[in-house]
Amino acid sequence: MAVPISQMWTVASYVLGQRLRGRRRYPLVLMLEPLFRCNLACAGCGKIQYPAQILKKHLTVEQCLAAVEECGTPMVSIPGGEPLMYPDISRLVKELVARRKYVYLCTNAILLKEKLEAGWFTPSKYLSFSVHMDGPREEHDEAVCRDGIYDVAAEAIREAVKRGFRVTTNSTLFDGTNPLRMREFFDQMMDLGVEGMMVSPGYSYAKAPDQEHFLRRQRSHELFRTMLERPKKRWKFNQSPLFLRFLMGKQDFECTPWGNPTYNLFGWQRPCYLLQEGYAATFKDLMESTRWEEYGRKSGNEKCQDCMVHCGHEPSAVDYTFGTWRGFRDTAVATISGRL
Amino acid sequence: MTQDLHAPLELEGWVPGPDVPLAEIIDRAFDYRGNVTIERRDGSELTGYLFNREARAASPFVQVFDTAGDGPFTVPYADIRTVRFTGKDTAAGNSYAAWLERKAAAKLEGRPAPQR
Repeated sequence: MAVPISQMWTVASYVLGQRLRGRRRYPLVLMLEPLFRCNLACAGCGKIQYPAQILKKHLTVEQCLAAVEECGTPMVSIPGGEPLMYPDISRLVKELVARRKYVYLCTNAILLKEKLEAGWFTPSKYLSFSVHMDGPREEHDEAVCRDGIYDVAAEAIREAVKRGFRVTTNSTLFDGTNPLRMREFFDQMMDLGVEGMMVSPGYSYAKAPDQEHFLRRQRSHELFRTMLERPKKRWKFNQSPLFLRFLMGKQDFECTPWGNPTYNLFGWQRPCYLLQEGYAATFKDLMESTRWEEYGRKSGNEKCQDCMVHCGHEPSAVDYTFGTWRGFRDTAVATISGRL
Repeated sequence: MTQDLHAPLELEGWVPGPDVPLAEIIDRAFDYRGNVTIERRDGSELTGYLFNREARAASPFVQVFDTAGDGPFTVPYADIRTVRFTGKDTAAGNSYAAWLERKAAAKLEGRPAPQR
């Protein structure tokens, strides 16, 4: 697995510290959305469908840093919108790196090469470009509804790797994904020199009877089992091996909706990165006044029944890893053996 | 504008009838991806994007960024007479399914795939 030891150590210390303090609910990764504007308009993307006056707005660096401080997570993910369109992204990243936060800058990479050449960023173990890649060329271009984007992103990845940056990929997979094509894709990404890959099923919600929910979940398990069966040694994943086992149906985790809290122009999003059921003015208010028992599969909430997304389940896997001997052992075995 | 007692499937242009409960109108406005116009009981209006509503608060309220992007402005439910769905629905026709349909239609007609 491809998470650097220093980062793993930071996360382990953080999780153990939270548990020693008896905090039952704690955040792991802050999802910081400084803007909703994007230079792609992927079909179905709920992040960019706002009136013009909202798309024109963005958070200030000070607002971003205050949210980071308030939340206190060791890792900060910057999605959006497209963060490279945020005019102060260079300064924001510098400030976060100075605070020793592990930053995942999630980008479609259209502007990445240009920004690297302009000297906007400096390589650091704290900074990783997490490039959106939803599959091989044809599948990715279809997912983002524009031809040629795969090639642009691949070129930007090469440039970033050449300049010494940490680069990972993030892939969201939906029904109809061809697992064998994805295995080829993993080879392609490793050939590009990325440090690791992240995969997650897309959010699936339909007002459907339980049987259909079951099938949806089953289909996800089948897809990931076929895709990740006997993983090649050269494939590196920048995520918990137990989360991958969860996707394959070999392990069960309940959702941790407070694990990846989201902060954006509207405030702290309730309850999670995917469901927008309201906003709290402060992180404390989010944690204390959200009715967490109404979310997750066990709650019976219809919106949560099919969800297997990383932002809710990877924190569960990480908590299990560093919170139980068995979880630690399973993670260590999977990491050392490369078997899932 | 259409005046209705019940929320239509497409909300753009909807003017709720007097029998639709205010809480339901506000819930719809919260889910709506376009600007709305809030009619206050004192006759004044506020047009903008309604991004939050706290129906469970001791004094329920909504929050809005106006059309200039200023705000957020907080308006108590108690001050609201109704909400009209005056802005364009930015989510309409933008689902993945709609995209696939457009793409299939273009293929059938021998046109290049639509780009976004």
